[in-house]
Amino acid sequence: MNSVIGQSVPRRDLTGKLTGDAKYAADVQLPGMLAGKILRSPHAHATVVAVDTSAASELPGVYAIVTPFDVPDGNIAPDVPILDTEVRFVGDEVAAVAAEDEFIAQHALELIQVEYAQLPFVTDPRAAIEPGAPPVHAGGNLVGGEPIILERGNVEEGFAEADIILEDSFSTPAHSGAALEPRVAVASWDGDDLTVWKSSRGVHQDQLLLSLALGMPRDSVRVIGGAMGAGYGNKDETRLSVITAVLAQRAGRPVKIETTREEEIVAGRHRHGTFTTLKMGVKSDGTVTAVHAETIMDTGAYLSSGPGVVRRAGQGALYLYRCPNVRYDGYLTYTNTPSGGSYRALGAPQGHFALELIADRAAKAAGMDPVEFRLKNHVGPEGQPGERTTPANEIIDTQPLEGGIPFSSNGLRECIERGAEAFGWSDYSPSSEENLKRGKGMAILIYRGGPGGRSIARMRFEQDGTFTMISGVMDVGEGSSTVLPQIAAEALGVDYDQVAETLGDSAITPDSPITAGSTVTFSAGLAVKQAAEDLRSRLLSSASDVLDLPQSDLELDTSGIVSQSGRGLSFADLAERTGSVEVEASVSPGSTDFIVNSFGAHFAEVEVDTDTGAVRVLRYVAAHDSGRILNPRLAVNQVEGGVSQMLGFTLTEQMLTDPAHGATLNASFLEHKSPTILEYPDIEVIFADVIDPIGPYGAKALGEPPSVGVAPAVVNAIRDATSVEVLDLPATPDRILNLLAELEDGDA
Amino acid sequence: MGYAEVTPYTLDITLEVNGQSHDLEVDTRWTLLHVLRGELGLTGAKRGCDRGECGACTVLLDDLPVNACMTLVATISGRRVRTVEGLSSLGSLHPVQQAFLDNDGGQCGFCTPGFVMSTTSLLEKNSSPSDDEIRSALAGNICRCNAYGRIIESVRSARRAE
Repeated sequence: MNSVIGQSVPRRDLTGKLTGDAKYAADVQLPGMLAGKILRSPHAHATVVAVDTSAASELPGVYAIVTPFDVPDGNIAPDVPILDTEVRFVGDEVAAVAAEDEFIAQHALELIQVEYAQLPFVTDPRAAIEPGAPPVHAGGNLVGGEPIILERGNVEEGFAEADIILEDSFSTPAHSGAALEPRVAVASWDGDDLTVWKSSRGVHQDQLLLSLALGMPRDSVRVIGGAMGAGYGNKDETRLSVITAVLAQRAGRPVKIETTREEEIVAGRHRHGTFTTLKMGVKSDGTVTAVHAETIMDTGAYLSSGPGVVRRAGQGALYLYRCPNVRYDGYLTYTNTPSGGSYRALGAPQGHFALELIADRAAKAAGMDPVEFRLKNHVGPEGQPGERTTPANEIIDTQPLEGGIPFSSNGLRECIERGAEAFGWSDYSPSSEENLKRGKGMAILIYRGGPGGRSIARMRFEQDGTFTMISGVMDVGEGSSTVLPQIAAEALGVDYDQVAETLGDSAITPDSPITAGSTVTFSAGLAVKQAAEDLRSRLLSSASDVLDLPQSDLELDTSGIVSQSGRGLSFADLAERTGSVEVEASVSPGSTDFIVNSFGAHFAEVEVDTDTGAVRVLRYVAAHDSGRILNPRLAVNQVEGGVSQMLGFTLTEQMLTDPAHGATLNASFLEHKSPTILEYPDIEVIFADVIDPIGPYGAKALGEPPSVGVAPAVVNAIRDATSVEVLDLPATPDRILNLLAELEDGDA
Repeated sequence: MGYAEVTPYTLDITLEVNGQSHDLEVDTRWTLLHVLRGELGLTGAKRGCDRGECGACTVLLDDLPVNACMTLVATISGRRVRTVEGLSSLGSLHPVQQAFLDNDGGQCGFCTPGFVMSTTSLLEKNSSPSDDEIRSALAGNICRCNAYGRIIESVRSARRAE
């Protein structure tokens, strides 16, 4: 049989998306359904003193209103009640209305009178942790009251060994993933049972959070994901769904709330803005002796996933280069601005931006080419120097701080070498005109993905002799509805088309982690593989009984059960004997002996117009070690998309806050400028062909790593082209012109 | 002016959608997108921004691509609309749809109907567009997954297939 692994089978859910048949949450229509709208705070920080809904509730067509004063007790997250009498950013939820249509709902919002008592506010995360800053939440703005400090060895000793020390400060802006589908929730009650359709990246987690917020048994809540218009790590919070459910309960009719583009950007969850100072020590031969990074990360009004993300921002500094002495200080701060959250690669792009700019400076100081410097210092398969302190029998499912633990596989060197060759790094000679300066830049990256918590999958042999793979994960556009059936088919020994899939409905799929952290293919994939292998054994055993032949004589192939003697059973015939057979497998992905990480090396050629400050990325090479590539065409799409998406972070996208009022100034696609097909560069994708010994069929994480290397590779190329180094993203034309002007003044 | 000041007003119009004629009583505030999705149940066109910036609602109005979210339906009575639902017939994909499927021209799919309609319009006018013409024709459609590389490949492939 031909292997299904490594085949570019078509994306399974794409057909429905091409014909319009795919149902996203906004496409759900229910009889009697009302339209909901949310009233949002015009103030950055205020107490809601009173809400007068009398005029709104008298408007014909208004069915339900919810305010902080009549909302059920309950919390969305530890620092987020369903609705609160304190609002903490411009755009925070205050009240909500359900009405016959969106026009009436909007009219009703305008009739709600809210009395606010304004409170002092702070929008800058550095100011937020100064003494006397207005507290966003009781307990102070520095989350946890102190920075998290992660250290291996002793950086003071490491810097003492260095001949050269490089240090600078960098900033990256808050930027929205701006998923094309704004958040949507539909809620419908049947007695005490609630069904929610939502733009979701994890129906089981949503089910749990909804049940906790509403004080309901978990089994009374069903969450249906359907098609999902992407989130890039977003859309796992449930405030919108809970508000929708409360409205639906009060109205006695189903309610749908479709948020607007502006709401999606402001009240969604964006990549956290950061301020980072990074210091690296190297010997004169270029050996890295110490790295110390300190990051202030702005979580905005609420925590969301901030505590995890702030740790991730240190991952590059702590782990990318072989170095016994490293340290990371992470400060997570509240401000009265929109809330940060999970966005593709979780802090790693911010951290790598500082690290890889300093690495280029270190290379130059040591008289080395940037590629040569990376080849000399990158972390190898053996991991970091040091001794393991994690207990020997413990599964390593986070990034350990200490050294002494090897990687399950590490193709970083292959990425650097093959990427540099494909780019033509060593013999690159730019053709620059008077005002069009060209240059090259590169960056390397490390990312922890893969093992992601206990994962359960089911495989079912149906009564008609077909197969169904059942997993609780959501396909958020990354391709799990294609790749998981590929894994199942391979493990069973049948064709891809013989395995149907069921995903993304909490009532009919087993509990599963959210689609997050580049873990689905690896973790859900291992569970699917196990379930399919178990089902194959069960079917062979049953066939052995039916045919009265030893199981060792039997094989399972695309036609059914076959034996060496020529006797066999079609799947349909077998199913007549066995009926439906379902097996479930539960696995704890990961290893007690190895760290599972993905790696990459990015190379960019840019052209900078020194008259206008505009940057064009001409050519890009992205080389990745993500283990064996299960579906090359989907994988290439993933990498190309990740690179292009992060050109927005690098060059154009930032959420701008008015410091006087705290309002977000540019919550639209034109002003928070997304890349279009016009700017899309020539991108070449290379995979390092390393087979991981732990992942399903050798696969490792792929979804997020492409996001990590883009900003430093492009900004290093801008410096190569122009001699100016952009320390604050995005690298907008005005910033580049200002830097060029400073350079000229300095030369004059 | 808030909604409080607006008095709803309705008009009778006719609209041809995917070859079928509809007599409709429409609120003058309704957009074509609202009518397609809410009144006719054609949910292929998506609401990504509701302000003409993203192209997820692209449909063809008398063969030319328009943002359905920016088209007040009362202004297009008697005209002809084509949506993504009108392309495939009886289970067989339109060549543009087939090319997007074969070349993985999408990820989350929310922008996909818009790209398909912009591409269909382009290829109807110009059966062999250059890469620059392809990019220009699709510049009004945002794909936040940034699957632009595969989308360009899809259109190149559809160009050959047409």
